[in-house]
Amino acid sequence: MKAAGDFSRPKLTVLAAALSLAVGGLAQAADENLPDLGGGAAPWVADVYYENHTVRRHDAGLAKFRNTLQVEADKPMGDGWAFRSILRGSWDGVYRLNRDEYGRRAGGSIELENTAAPLLPPVPTSAGTPLNRPRVPHGGGINNPIGTAIGLPPTNAFGFDLAANPNDGMRVLGDRWHQTEGGVAFGVPVRPCDTDKRGCRDFGGYGDLKLGELEAPEFNDRLDFLREIYAKKTFPFADGTELFVKLGRQQVVWGRTDLFRVLDVINPIDYSRNNIYDELQDIRIPMWIAQGEYRMGASDAMQDRNVQVVWNFDKFRPNNLGQCGSPNVILDAGCFFRGMASLWDNGGTVANFAAVPPGTAGAWAATDFGPHQIGIRKVHLPEWSLSNTQLGVKYEGITKEGLAFSLNALTYRSQLPSLHAFSAGTVNPFTGGSGNTTPPAAGVPVSRLIAFDVHYPRVNLLGGSLDFQIPDANAAIRMETALTEGEEFANTARRDLYSSNRVLRAVVGVDRPTFIPFISKTRATLISAQLFWQHIFDHEQHDGPLGKVGMVDWEDNFIGTLLIKGFLAGDRVSPQVIMARDFRAKALTVAPQIEWSVTDDFKVTLGANFKYANGNNHYKFDDTRSANPYPPFTTYTASGQSFVPGSAGLSGIEPLGRFRAGPIGAAVAEDDIYVTVRYKF
Amino acid sequence: MTRYFARRSSIAVALACAAGTLHAASEADIDKSFFPYKSAVPTAAGVTAGTVINKGNFANFEAVLDPGLQRHIQAGAVEITVGKTTSFDIDKSYVDATRENAGKVKLGAKPGELVGYVAGRPFPEEPDAKDPRAGEKLAWNFRYGMNWGDGLAISPFYWKYRNMDSGKVERNILFNFHFIKYTHRLNQVPTPEISPNPSKLYRATYVNVQEPQDVKNTQLLIQRYEDDLKQDDAYLYLGFQRRVRRLSTGQTTDAFLGSDIMIEDFEGYNGRISDMNWKYKGTVNMLMPFYHHNDMKLSDEYKESDGYKYVAFGGQGGCFPDITWQLRKVHIVESSPVDPNHPVSRRVHYMDAQTSAMSQTLVYDRKGDLWKIFMLGMTHPDSHLAQNKGSGIVLFDAFSMIDVQAKHCTTGQFKGRADAKMVPVNLFSVQNMRGGS
Repeated sequence: MKAAGDFSRPKLTVLAAALSLAVGGLAQAADENLPDLGGGAAPWVADVYYENHTVRRHDAGLAKFRNTLQVEADKPMGDGWAFRSILRGSWDGVYRLNRDEYGRRAGGSIELENTAAPLLPPVPTSAGTPLNRPRVPHGGGINNPIGTAIGLPPTNAFGFDLAANPNDGMRVLGDRWHQTEGGVAFGVPVRPCDTDKRGCRDFGGYGDLKLGELEAPEFNDRLDFLREIYAKKTFPFADGTELFVKLGRQQVVWGRTDLFRVLDVINPIDYSRNNIYDELQDIRIPMWIAQGEYRMGASDAMQDRNVQVVWNFDKFRPNNLGQCGSPNVILDAGCFFRGMASLWDNGGTVANFAAVPPGTAGAWAATDFGPHQIGIRKVHLPEWSLSNTQLGVKYEGITKEGLAFSLNALTYRSQLPSLHAFSAGTVNPFTGGSGNTTPPAAGVPVSRLIAFDVHYPRVNLLGGSLDFQIPDANAAIRMETALTEGEEFANTARRDLYSSNRVLRAVVGVDRPTFIPFISKTRATLISAQLFWQHIFDHEQHDGPLGKVGMVDWEDNFIGTLLIKGFLAGDRVSPQVIMARDFRAKALTVAPQIEWSVTDDFKVTLGANFKYANGNNHYKFDDTRSANPYPPFTTYTASGQSFVPGSAGLSGIEPLGRFRAGPIGAAVAEDDIYVTVRYKF
Repeated sequence: MTRYFARRSSIAVALACAAGTLHAASEADIDKSFFPYKSAVPTAAGVTAGTVINKGNFANFEAVLDPGLQRHIQAGAVEITVGKTTSFDIDKSYVDATRENAGKVKLGAKPGELVGYVAGRPFPEEPDAKDPRAGEKLAWNFRYGMNWGDGLAISPFYWKYRNMDSGKVERNILFNFHFIKYTHRLNQVPTPEISPNPSKLYRATYVNVQEPQDVKNTQLLIQRYEDDLKQDDAYLYLGFQRRVRRLSTGQTTDAFLGSDIMIEDFEGYNGRISDMNWKYKGTVNMLMPFYHHNDMKLSDEYKESDGYKYVAFGGQGGCFPDITWQLRKVHIVESSPVDPNHPVSRRVHYMDAQTSAMSQTLVYDRKGDLWKIFMLGMTHPDSHLAQNKGSGIVLFDAFSMIDVQAKHCTTGQFKGRADAKMVPVNLFSVQNMRGGS
């Protein structure tokens, strides 16, 4: 799964941590692999911060009431070693203060589109409502008796147990950002997983969280309250070179661009904290990493030379995309995942699925699928093994002319999930058996079935970055690029509904301090613009009888960002606005903000982010309703489809439109205003 | 017409000769330059150690006060006490280098070009008012001065942003500053230069912010090239971004971290010689912020484990260092930016003749109105930390940049340390700023 422009936007913030954990936690870590932390004359130096971040979201109401305590502690340990830790603990009250939206009472009963209603008989459904309603409740679609009545084998497996999968605590997939508009949709459980287990899967830190874990995300089995904890030392050599070593849980930042993660991919990102709107340092997920940096200094040709080796030996963790039902679910992906997982486990009603009349595009009936027919079955999280660790090498230098550059190579695991379609072990809902057994397609292998396992493939990256200044323009230029191999994308033209493609990403940024007299005559206003480009090699897309088939992601996409940041009153007041335009998504976000340092230790930030999108028809793409996994039942004969699997291109916004909408377009209905207060004790 | 061209040509040749002529400074010139008070200290009527100059009597001392200081005394914003004039002898290695290389240095054809410089004071001879490039020569003396020596740290370095009217301290910043010279080194190994140095860097400044929270771990690295015509390189590490950003050079005229001082104001002038037109405006005896640190009234505000105390501040808004002022020989130099869009129209620098330190500077805005007054207190190294004693390095010790238009000031209190261990060359690298992030 990929979205063009996996990026994050700045906002000054630091968050949580438990002060009481400081000394004990540090000492324990020292016992294992560090020199004596208690020894030496140098004292501990610790800063303690408290922050409250409160967000009000359009329509949803309170969307964040996060309270964070963070302790940053340093101590020289003797023999040149230095120790640093950042402990963070958060508690978000939104799940209790706005429980109807995000907590135990979130969601409710839902209704799903049923565009074939005028063509359907008023037969009763499992939900007790007639089938011919334009909107039917969960459980109000075609079930086994109806299927039998319309000529399917009596053994058909349509329908599901409403008692086990009730129409409660749910929302309609995608309702946070679009209407169904004739496409597919299904119910998504949205309550915390200790309240409603349906669709709960661990995607690697999210997807299966209880209320308490959503409220206090750092206190988990990965000990995320130990946000950073490492020791470092520089070993000098006689020739003036040095070896810098840093061991422990840490962030390793590569690259030169803001917002976009082109080279900055060593640590995964926690988008659940504040979507793309926190500083990356606050949402990178620190990993247990050993890094060594051989600092060679100057040579006859180079002013500076460094080689860095980064070994991420931590157990794999992906990006946290946010659990459905929590305030920040980037791309609404977590809701798709949870809904699909629930479909696999429990079955469910899918809006506008079965063509009416059969084989003909034009109207579609809501359909009740049973368990193990469609959905997400399993998440394959890479276990810890040596071969699953991640390794990077960087050469960083400055030429004698002053050009700073890096060359980077990294082999890592994709931090975004890839959905691989499978068919073995699935139930053919039309027959109740498995596979294709119905002439004329008997024996035809099932493929392109919307039943998935989730994988995190290995990705290899080669890239580089550079920066320089253009004195005549009073501007600094930053560039960054990366070529990856192994990333996987949704691809409806492939039998497993994904393909592996090489991807080139590049960013060019320009920073220019500019005196804008009406803002300040003495302090320059920073204007920073960036343009991000993503190109997918071997991009596959072709015309089907009902629409485009292939890869939903754009072959080329561009995102532009503009930051204008002023500084007033001795830098104690800083207004800024950030704009980001996803050109192919036709989506824009505008984020004004003003920071006020009331004192050296107390800061208040007021801000907002508004999103705009120019329609959503361009998000619609092959939704695989016409992928024809089970011919002849799923074959659009009127469109010339043959009795073998392969998509005709019938399109809707779900499920793939989110990849075209991107993080901005998929959050178009989530305009936020916020206030953040931060105090240093 | 012919005569006109002939006259123009002869003027041009004369100017070229003035620029390019190797003027061998005599021993007497060098002695006079480095030991101006050997035989006698300057005198002025009524200016004796212990004299307090204030609103009531300032008119008696106008001749020895720069207009900026005079303005504030007249307004009652501050009163100053005269101290005894003392010699601030510069490290012998620098004086010796000046002798060894006397007469080998000349200005190039263009401002910013210097030919034949090795070490020491490039132009130790008295400035000549008839020399159209005398100001430029003094600028070179400043650039290649011994201030901070080959390497020195200010750690810690406390800044305060103050409202001059209310006296409210609006912001406190805690820095560490580090300086290193790559070339023309004299008193710290290696000499005469650090090599390899393929970019031909002359000097680097590394700044690390310790407090407050919003700028904590911000780091700044400025690299100046031996070739004055080449733009400085500057890098900024933002703690909250954990990323080094290349700065455009325009940010050197920006209010540094919102203070009243711009990077270009550091040390009196912290830019390229070629960015300015330099004019020598004369030599006078003036009261300058030179003193002996340990004899001053010191502040108890910050506690140091070694007992070191910082210079206290007083006067209106706490904008004035509480020090004594010495009557000293001063060269007045005016610099005006080549760039017409520069926020400053001109600076008037009061350069101490013995040390080449620009310890008083008046800054004028683009309209030509007085904008800011920079006072840079200098202490004798023998009256400071034990590690600085005998170093021959005149130490910056306290500064105040007063924005007279905004009625605002930024003050700084130094703990300068002439300790080579605090300025290893690796500290001045971009990679060090990243610190393994």
